[in-house]
Amino acid sequence: MPEAEVMCQEPEVDFTLIDRIIRDDFNGNREAMIMMMQAIQRHYHFLPEPALHYLSQAISVPLTKIYEVATFYASFSLIPKGKHILHVCTGTACHLKGSGGMVKHIAGKLGIAPGGTTADKKFTLETVNCLGACAVSPVVVLDEKYHPKATVGLLNELIDQVNAE
Amino acid sequence: MNTATSAAAVLSGVKRFVGGQELEQHRQALIDRTDPNAPRILVCCGTGCKAVGSLDLLETMQNSVAASGAAIKVMPEVKRTGCHGFCSRGPLLTLQPEGLFYQRVKPEDAEEIVKQTVIGGELVKRLLYKPQGAKESIAKVGDIPFFAKQTKLVLKRVGRIDPFDINDSLVHGAYKALNKVLNEMSPDQVIEEIKNSKLRGRGGAGFPTGLKWESCSRQPGRHYVICNGDEGDPGAFMDASVMEGDPHAVLEGMAIAAYAMGSDRGFLYVRMEYPLAVQTLTRAIRQAEELGLIGDNILGTGFKFKVSVSTGAGAFVCGESSALMSSLEGKVGRPRPKYIRSTEKGFRDSPSNLNNVETYANVPEIILRGGAWYTGYGTERSAGTKVFSLTGNVHNVGLVEVPMGTSLREIVYGIGGGIPNKKELKAVQTGGPSGGCIPIPKKFLDINVGFGKLAEIGSMMGSGGMIVMDENICMVEVSRYFINFLVEESCGQCTPCREGLTRMKDILTRLTLGEGREGDVELLEEIGKFTNSFSLCGLGTSAANPVLSTIKYFREEYDAHIRDKKCPAGVCKPLYYYEIDPEKCTGCGLCRAKCPAKAVAGEKKKPHTIDQELCIKCMECYKNCKFDSIKIM
Amino acid sequence: MKIILDGKEVTAEAGRTILEVARQNGVDIPTLCHVPALEPAAMCRLCTVELIENRRARMVTACNYPLRGDAEVRTDTPFLRQGRKLIIELLYSRCPDSTVLKELAARYGAELGRFPEDNKDCVMCGLCARVCERVGGNVLALCGRGVEIRVDTSFGRTARHCIGCGACARICPVNKIQIGDEGAERTVIIYGKEASRIPLRPCTSCGKPFGPVIDLSLIMERAGETKVPAFNLSVCPACSRRNHARRLAERHFEQYEIEPRETGEDD
Repeated sequence: MPEAEVMCQEPEVDFTLIDRIIRDDFNGNREAMIMMMQAIQRHYHFLPEPALHYLSQAISVPLTKIYEVATFYASFSLIPKGKHILHVCTGTACHLKGSGGMVKHIAGKLGIAPGGTTADKKFTLETVNCLGACAVSPVVVLDEKYHPKATVGLLNELIDQVNAE
Repeated sequence: MNTATSAAAVLSGVKRFVGGQELEQHRQALIDRTDPNAPRILVCCGTGCKAVGSLDLLETMQNSVAASGAAIKVMPEVKRTGCHGFCSRGPLLTLQPEGLFYQRVKPEDAEEIVKQTVIGGELVKRLLYKPQGAKESIAKVGDIPFFAKQTKLVLKRVGRIDPFDINDSLVHGAYKALNKVLNEMSPDQVIEEIKNSKLRGRGGAGFPTGLKWESCSRQPGRHYVICNGDEGDPGAFMDASVMEGDPHAVLEGMAIAAYAMGSDRGFLYVRMEYPLAVQTLTRAIRQAEELGLIGDNILGTGFKFKVSVSTGAGAFVCGESSALMSSLEGKVGRPRPKYIRSTEKGFRDSPSNLNNVETYANVPEIILRGGAWYTGYGTERSAGTKVFSLTGNVHNVGLVEVPMGTSLREIVYGIGGGIPNKKELKAVQTGGPSGGCIPIPKKFLDINVGFGKLAEIGSMMGSGGMIVMDENICMVEVSRYFINFLVEESCGQCTPCREGLTRMKDILTRLTLGEGREGDVELLEEIGKFTNSFSLCGLGTSAANPVLSTIKYFREEYDAHIRDKKCPAGVCKPLYYYEIDPEKCTGCGLCRAKCPAKAVAGEKKKPHTIDQELCIKCMECYKNCKFDSIKIM
Repeated sequence: MKIILDGKEVTAEAGRTILEVARQNGVDIPTLCHVPALEPAAMCRLCTVELIENRRARMVTACNYPLRGDAEVRTDTPFLRQGRKLIIELLYSRCPDSTVLKELAARYGAELGRFPEDNKDCVMCGLCARVCERVGGNVLALCGRGVEIRVDTSFGRTARHCIGCGACARICPVNKIQIGDEGAERTVIIYGKEASRIPLRPCTSCGKPFGPVIDLSLIMERAGETKVPAFNLSVCPACSRRNHARRLAERHFEQYEIEPRETGEDD
């Protein structure tokens, strides 16, 4: 899949792409709805409403049911995300090594709650339950790059670097 | 990606096996071409090592080997493998056939390893593992206590094979058991063998696998074989390592189960937080299909079994069987309010067999060696081995496979190497957030892990997460953490779980803020008791365990929070502060340099002080002080 | 099949739920999220009882547990009463002005006010969403999860495809869903928020708006019939009654002259 452009405002939804996901990748199979939504989200970094309307029509599932699924699973987002996504692992091992404090610190520094996106759409802060890298806890992932044994100081650096770009 | 060149050459001639004999001939051809004494460099690319840069190491290693090609007598094969298990020492590298073990290897070490060890036959001493407190380093994998004290049945291939190359798995015996089952055993015989092995589900509940298969196989209709790879317990990564490191063991186990139950369709439900597992499994399925080991007409026997990978979308509750099946059907993953086993009516309302990754991975070896062999490991009630992910305040964080019945002492001290920083062991948490609980290890250190024993003291084995906690862990805060986790992960449909846990979280949060009241502990116990008996699914009926068990064993800590407004462990931020002991402080300045809030002040070589107004209690100074001069007040 | 129900032996048909058997025998087990017309959801957990089957005791919900063999059921032990009391207290804090909860609180001696009130105006029984799906409206659903779970419409927007049947309002045990007609529109209000707004159809006889514009095909699909339903959907109930009366009168009492009345005049 081509590297998705990170959207800073509501993007135009490409229905041929959505159609390709639904019909070619998953054969229009209703049971694959969650994976179709994941594929849509991989592309847009969130679930654009028109895409879900289209999905509802295409696989004949009431929109309410799709909305229910979109709000139930933690990985789905109905609002656009920032350009850089900062995941802080809050699994038990990371928690014991202070990831909770780091989340609070970043939230304070960026002025957003976990799950939120900064006003300039630069950062989205997310927590994740466990990445399975407990040996090097606490783990922070910025744009898919792992930062093992993270500290508040390192986070400050990472954020300042991005902001300086 | 690197694939074994010799294996690739063999594979090029193979289309699909149309019989078991062909498979074995192919395997033999592969083995014949593989010189067991040929040099191999294994780079661990499990999630833990990947996080510390093992992919870069793999690449530089390959380049370094290629660059010095002319000087090397026999070109070593540089191979990426799954998790070696010793995650706290990553990135890891093993050199075969000698079994040399290098740890914390950086890409810039690659050239030196090639020059000194591969060409010169000398050790790179600084990369060797030296156990805590020991004088001598250990060069060979087999001599390292962390490895030597384990018994690897499930993990036997993990870390030794390239998970992306089916031929490497075939060399190491993959699909031998499937071949045996299809050609020599009836479905009932397979079930009988599994029953004889006394294998119990490794997901936590411990239901006898053979009985489950039997009851599922007797149901009419189309059967489904489902693998639960939704390893949601935070701090547990056993299943991830198996899926990432030896995907064919899981697939083979599922195919054998499918044969035993007359199923032609299987699903692997994997959590989306494990992208590497999804990748390895997907590739493994494709390769197995190409060789006729999965899919239509397997090994020419007419047996058909199609498998696909489904990814979860971030919901812990989907580890519950009926919620998982709803999720597989593309629906909201709420547990179903039905008193009917999924072996009767599960996925698509059809008989479905759901087992955990580790359970399926145990199956091929049991088939090959017989159920009686398996019961030779473990205890009467808990046969075989169990993989634990040992994390927290312990030296050797990583994956550990031991026979059931091994004592906590052996795991934490023998294999885990004990507690770092001269701290006291306070508790071991097993069973994850919903099943988990914290017994006092001092009292229970010699307890043997297994299905029955841990339950007796108010904990459970669960899926295998084992978190070691030292004296700096606050039990009230740990309870709050787990309850908070469950509040967020509860599906929300039933009252006791949704409302009860929310109220428990409110109370626990209050305690950690120093706003606890008399009667709070009793209220927690009351809500916990009824949440555990009135909730709908397994998540709710075990949700209060962390709270109830910590109250049972650490009541005094709750009382300290409520009566003295103190957090003895120094975790609950409003209830303590850091102070520098001027007697011990040497003024080295390390804490001042590390403090991200610029709260530490002081001249060089003179005792420093902490500005309480600025301090964010991030623990950096405390963790870094070499003179033990920072005190929790 | 013999069931010992609170110490008394009763007979029951296999496959019946504990709740059905209890009600047949005059034993009252409290429920909040159950109506016989819908599949049990076992969400409120108030109907939890103790079941002893094959010498194994456990807690099950009466609304959805099918009895398959001889068993003993205890519906009112001290433990169950305490558990129900707690559940009522927890629910009461979500919806303190509910009559049903006040009655249940009195019955189980609940200490109201043990938990701070958060006035969510909903006991999260899920009945409205379930009945909406069953009827075919697909307007309401249980969205979010955990504490955040709520009854909502897609994207929280006012739904236009609601059929305006009013089943949600009628089924809500705490009467927190309002349905109202104003002018030529019908609205459904949940938690004080507009969940749906749909046009009302004018009566072809008297011209007054009277019922929601419903897709006829949906009704046919739901009714399982291929023909247009027997009743006339274009005339308001008042006109329909009058027209019917007129036809009756014309047929049977030909000798009488019916005084023509102005249409649209209310009876």
